Amino acid sequence: MSTKVAIIASNGGMFDAYKVFNIATASAATDAEVAIFFTFEGLNLIHKQANQQLSMPAGKEHMAEGFAKANVPSIPELVGMAQEMGVKMIACQMTMDVMNLQKEAFIDGIEVGGAVTFLDFAKDANISLSF
Amino acid sequence: MTKQTAIPANHILDCKGLACPMPIVKTKKRIETMLPGEVLEVQATDKGSLADMQGWAKNTGHAYLGTIHDGDVLKHYLRKASPQETKTETKFPHTITSEELEQKLSANQAGTVLDVREPAEYAFNRIPGAKSIPFGELEKRWNELKPEDEIHVVCRSGNRSDLACQVLADKGFTRVKNVLPGMNGWKGPVESNE
Repeated sequence: MSTKVAIIASNGGMFDAYKVFNIATASAATDAEVAIFFTFEGLNLIHKQANQQLSMPAGKEHMAEGFAKANVPSIPELVGMAQEMGVKMIACQMTMDVMNLQKEAFIDGIEVGGAVTFLDFAKDANISLSF
Repeated sequence: MTKQTAIPANHILDCKGLACPMPIVKTKKRIETMLPGEVLEVQATDKGSLADMQGWAKNTGHAYLGTIHDGDVLKHYLRKASPQETKTETKFPHTITSEELEQKLSANQAGTVLDVREPAEYAFNRIPGAKSIPFGELEKRWNELKPEDEIHVVCRSGNRSDLACQVLADKGFTRVKNVLPGMNGWKGPVESNE
């Protein structure tokens, strides 16, 4: 049986996005089954517009240069790779309702579900991470 | 830098300049398109890829053969596993264990050790003094060996060497033995190109 990796993404900044998608793509590339539950500000990471322009933490804006220099892929590119390798992405219905967001605002190929949708996947996960 | 002999690979993947996790992601995609047994050379400048490739291979079941440092470029060698390799089914009746061969070697009575793995596998980890003829070349190179010699045939798991023993027996070799389980279970001395 393959390794299962369950990730909760609850923050919406650039650094948060890299943490989430680097681990997710690396896991998927290593034949793990991966699911990410996006909740609260984490929804930014899969929002069609928001994930094109995620913010750097205050005072760390100078690191944008470092990202460019290290030739790090953009977040939309990483999201595309993750999806291509079968990473399951679940948007939190409750947060969407609170923020008045529709499924159409998000990238294609995501699922919308409640906490139990994630828990059902995570209950026998080998690795659980929260960012 | 020491001069390195080139290690043959079936495929070369350029990941130079790419940051984590791209070398791993690209390696996975490329290896999916390859045939079992083929060797991939991954060229990377990401220093973290040295540890990542080993961990990746361990978790996916493919074989990590080794890495060569070529200036700032790391060249990682990986061999794609085949599903049937995990269950070794050998047919050739004459066998010798890795431990027995090790004893014969230390007594200088091992005759010829024939390594039938791919050149990249041989380059990183082999029994000292072993002769390399990859299994795929044996049909046209077997005459480099003497039919009257004692020959110990080794590969990674005992699979390819089993087939190689059968080929040599067909050619009239009478003192051929398959080393089991092969380099997988070899605890004796090794040498490499490095």
